[in-house]
Formats: sequence, structure tokens, C-alpha cells
Amino acid sequence: MSVLALKDVSYKYEGTTRVIFKDVNLTFEPGKVYTIVGKSGSGKSTLLSLLSGLDTATSGKVEIGGESLASINRNHYRRKKAGIIFQSLNLLPNATAIDNIVLSMNISGVTGIDKKARALELLEKVGISQEKANRKIVKLSGGEQQRIGIARALAHNPELIIADEPTGSLDKDTEVKVLKIFRSLAQEEGKCVIIVTHSKKVTTIADEIWGLEKGSFRQLDPSEVQAGREIIAKKGRKLV
Amino acid sequence: MYLFTNAIKNLGRNKGRNMLIAVITLAIIISTVVTLTINNAAARVVDDIRLDLGSRVSVRQDFIEMRQMGLDGRRDAQHIPLTDFVAFSESEFLRHTTFSADVLAWSDSLFAIDDPNLGEGTRVLDDGSVMNEETLRLVTISDPELLPDFGTLREIVDGRMFDGINEAVISEALAAHNDISVGDTIEIIGAYATDRMFSLTVVGIYSDATDEYLNPWITMFGLFPALNRRNEIIASFDTLLASSWETNAGLDIDFHYFLSNPDYLEAFEVEVRAMGLPFTYNVDINRAAFERVTGPLAGISSAAFTFMVVVLVLGAITLGLMSYMAVRERKYEVGVLRAMGLERGRVAIGIISEAVMIAAVCLVIGLGVGSAVAQPIANGMLSGRVAEAEAVENPGANRALFAGGQMQIGDGTAGYVPVSEIQLNLGVDIILQIIIITLGLAALTSIIGVVIITQYEPLIILRERT
Repeated sequence: MSVLALKDVSYKYEGTTRVIFKDVNLTFEPGKVYTIVGKSGSGKSTLLSLLSGLDTATSGKVEIGGESLASINRNHYRRKKAGIIFQSLNLLPNATAIDNIVLSMNISGVTGIDKKARALELLEKVGISQEKANRKIVKLSGGEQQRIGIARALAHNPELIIADEPTGSLDKDTEVKVLKIFRSLAQEEGKCVIIVTHSKKVTTIADEIWGLEKGSFRQLDPSEVQAGREIIAKKGRKLV
Repeated sequence: MYLFTNAIKNLGRNKGRNMLIAVITLAIIISTVVTLTINNAAARVVDDIRLDLGSRVSVRQDFIEMRQMGLDGRRDAQHIPLTDFVAFSESEFLRHTTFSADVLAWSDSLFAIDDPNLGEGTRVLDDGSVMNEETLRLVTISDPELLPDFGTLREIVDGRMFDGINEAVISEALAAHNDISVGDTIEIIGAYATDRMFSLTVVGIYSDATDEYLNPWITMFGLFPALNRRNEIIASFDTLLASSWETNAGLDIDFHYFLSNPDYLEAFEVEVRAMGLPFTYNVDINRAAFERVTGPLAGISSAAFTFMVVVLVLGAITLGLMSYMAVRERKYEVGVLRAMGLERGRVAIGIISEAVMIAAVCLVIGLGVGSAVAQPIANGMLSGRVAEAEAVENPGANRALFAGGQMQIGDGTAGYVPVSEIQLNLGVDIILQIIIITLGLAALTSIIGVVIITQYEPLIILRERT
């Protein structure tokens, strides 16, 4: 039973002829981590916009629990079902870390729990101290902001986590910590985690790795990714 | 609820912008409170004056109109039976009528103060008739309560106020000058109509602290005893009616017809014209006095209103521009909220709540500060206008018109002083008006942003930011 599926999805930017994807069919199941890799500008972030209901496909449909995303309330979908980690973070810069997370829970309609305590718990999980939790976002480093973005996406306990380069600004130790969280969310809580990434490390936690090239998706073998990276390292040019 | 909590937090998060909006809003509210309070109080006072002075109609011979018609004020005067004047008071447009008529008189047994001829002077008129020099003034009035100065500058010190026909009160000075006591009878004759004799019983003597001459300039040309207020003999209007004095000839009449509504003036005039009042008579309120009394109020009211309009327009433009400039900053915030799944409507509620909260705080402070400073500002403005009004020489104030045996001095403004004090009250109606204006300002500061921002899709906003 898929939690999210792309059915014959094609996408091109309005007013252009450039096709980003064509007739894409992908299925995402609960309890699995998916990573999507591809060159810069290949359309990975666009795919995440479609999956998170921020954009709509030119043709085909994105289905959530068997229902077309176009026919359901996309605000409700983002509020309740999806936790989105943006590449550009999209935090409220003048609000504190806690306020960002509590506001997200409020918007999602989370009730019956101590939201502040939950926010602090999540922040601690991603390595943000209580002192930093009370700082405004603008007073925190890029890596700290990224972790707050992750904590915010998890705050309302969504069944689907969609992340765009979630570890891009993290140091190695924190990256490992965050990846463990993603892995446990899938394995232990049955969440579906979809990550767009360039990071080799991130692909190591994936159940499925999909490569996006010239508008088509192809499932990659983990060893294939590894081989690709070695080629990059040798030739000094970026393929994946 | 969280929308309001977040709105409150947002006020602190964006202190700079919100402080600026609050300062402008507060300035607008304070100036609006001040101007509306002044306007309201001025309008209330003017309305009160309009109900009194503005509905007090006089029917008088129109000397100026007669001159313009080429008529002679005395020779061509059309005299109206006093009973007609009384009949006018039956009009359904009136709520009240007061009659007052002065007779210039002389007496061969009573010496007037300032009379150099001791009552023996005569004057030959153009038509050959002989007129005795008027030295006394018989003042008749329908209600002694309406007598000016009694209770302030004049006071009965012996006897009582007149009550019946042919009863009179005189000044202490006149009584002493002629050795008259309460109970004595005096005889006076109309100076213009020498066959009308009044035999009056003095029932009271009053002390008199008024100026001897209402228009002191008149003494520059000699002494006019009939205009000396000590020579007034005061009796009831019924005394005049009972004297078989048929018309207003030789009378200085002051008949006031109080309209039940100031707007009935035209209808009342039509009615009395239909009853035979000629066009050489003017049916009007004392406009000169009305304007003199209310002029400064109208001035400050108009200045305050103009100021309020300017402040509101400039303030609204400034707030609108600030709101527009804040759009970019808020756009990202809205993009984030929308990306988290917050609906357009809820985003709008949040933004509007912030504006309403700023406006509410400004409203409370503005009402307090505005009502505190309104009175001194009004006093300052009013005293300036009053001084201005008093500094302007009124050419009509000292004008003298002689006709039909009567003399009309001034343009009717004598004795009327501009309103120099105004009591301001912050009434419920003003508070409601201020609340409406404040809500309007809040709407202005938020709706521009809301309309612009919420029309974008979150992805577009966030892409722009990226």
C-alpha cells in the first residue's frame, strides 16, 4: 500500500517548452527511506514541490493515500500529513527556534500535549540546546537553522517526511545523528521519508535510491551510486 | 487562538515597523480626538444658540430696505396695529413670544437726568408739527423676568416689581432726582404721540449699576437724556396695550417670536405676510448677533475640521505607503506560513489582528491624551478667534437710524459677545466615531498587505526569496 504515488506525471515550467519530467511513475511506501539523486537543475526540488503540494503537475497526478492531491485540500495535506524540510529552510527569522516549532504544531492543529516541551525534545534530538532554542533564528548558524527546520518538520508527527538536502549544512556528527533519526522514523514508526540529496552518506540509509536524469527516473543500486561517486572523485567532475 | 498569540508575538518581533505605524496611528487618533471633541462641542453650543438666538425672530421696520426702495424711514413708515403683532404670536410655528416696546417720552412734572431744558424743550418737525424733546424712556415688557440686568446689576431696593397695568419701577437716581417714593404717581407723555399720556404708579425703586449710556460714544455729541438708562421707567407691555396706543408708531419695538424649530422662519414669514405685514418690515433672526456670538466657534470648528481632514488624508497615505513597503518583508513570512499549510484567510486574520492590536493600543492612549489636551487647545484656539473678532471694527455696531419717531442704534449686536468658553466632553458618540476611524486605519494598514500578499502562491514567494 503506497502512501504517495506519482502517476504519469509530467512537468514543465509555465511559459517554457523545457520538460523537467515526462510520464514519471513512482510509488512511495510507508516504513521506507527514499533518496533522490541527480545533477543540479535536474528537477529534484521541483519534484519535492510536487510531492509537498506546493506545485501542481502539468499532467498526470500525484496521489496521497490513493486520492489525487489535486482534488484534496493541499493546505490540509501540508498541515497534517507531510513534514517538509526546505533546502532554503524557510523559518521565521525573527521568531525563536521554539516559536517556529510551536507555531508549526499550532498550524497543524496539534493538541493534548505540551507543545513547548515537545519542541524542546525535538530540538534536543537534533542537537540544539535549550539556550539556543530560545534564540531568534537570525542569531543561529546555518547548520543550527537546518536542524531547527528538521525538528519543525517532525513536530506534528507527519506520516510523510519530505526533505530537500536536509544535511547540506551539517557537520559530520550531526549529519549522522539526523540520518539516524530519519532511519528510525521509517523503521520504527513506519514513516515514509523522501530525501533529495547530493550526500553519499544520506544514500546509505535509503531503502531505495532513485536517480533523476533528463526528465526520467531510474532506480539505482547503492553500489552504482558508490561507483558514480568514485568516478566523480577521480575525474573531478560532477555526475551525480 | 494561536493566530492572536502569534500576532502578539509578531508585534514584538517587528518592533521597528510596528512602532512607526503606532506613532503615526497615535498622532492621527490624538488629532482626531481633539478635532472631533472641539467640533462636537462647538456644534452643540451653536445648536443651543440657534435654538435661542437663531430661532428668535424679530419683526422690525427695515430701514435699510426702505432706503434702498427710495422710501423715507419716517415719512413713508407703515405703522402696524399692536394687535396685529399680538396676533402674529398665535402662529403654530411658534413656541413662545416676548414683547418689549420702548416709548420715548417727556414729562412736564418729571425731570430727567442729564436734561438741560428741564423738560421744556420742543422740536418742530419737517411736517410742521411740534414734538417735545424726549427726555425719558418708557420701557414696557411682557415678562419682567426677561428684563436685562435685573438680578445682576439692577435690584429692587424699595417696593416690588410691577405686576399690573399702569404700575412702574424707576431707578434710585431718577427717584432721588424728583423726590419720588413708592406709591407716588408719575405722568409721562409719548414724545412722538403727544396725546398719549401714561399715568403710572411707582411700585418699586431699583438700584442701578449699569453704564448710564449703552453706547458711550453718543455722549460725544451732547447729552441725550432719553438714552440715559437712569431715565428708564419700566412697566408691563399690557400697560402700553391698555393705553390705546394703536400702532407701533413712536415705539422702539422689540418683539421676539420664538420659533419651535429654527427652520420654520420662512414659513412664519409667509404666514405673517399673509396677515398683512408689509415688506417694509423685516422678519428675521438677529443674524449679526448670531454671527457675532457664534463666529469664533464656527472659526475653530472649521479650522479643526480642516486640520482633521489634512491629518487623516496625510496619515492614511503614509500608513498606506508603509503598509505597501512592508509587503516584501511580510511576503516571506506569509510564504513560510502558507508552506506550512496555513490558509489564506487565517494568514489574513493574523495580519489584521496585528493591525487591530496596534490600533487598539493607540486608541486607548489616543483617547486619553487627546481628551487631556483637547480643552487647552480649544481654549487657545477660541481665545485667539475671540481676540480676532473683537479686534475687527464693526461698522454697523454704532450705526444710528432715525425713523418714525424712533431711533435704532447699532446693527443689533450690542450686548452680544462672542462665545469665549467651550466645555469639551468626550461623549459616547465621539468615542464611537474614533473607534470607526481607528478601525479604518487598521484596515488600511493591513488590507493593502493582505490583498497583495495572499494572492501569491507560497512556492512563488519562497522562490523569490531564495
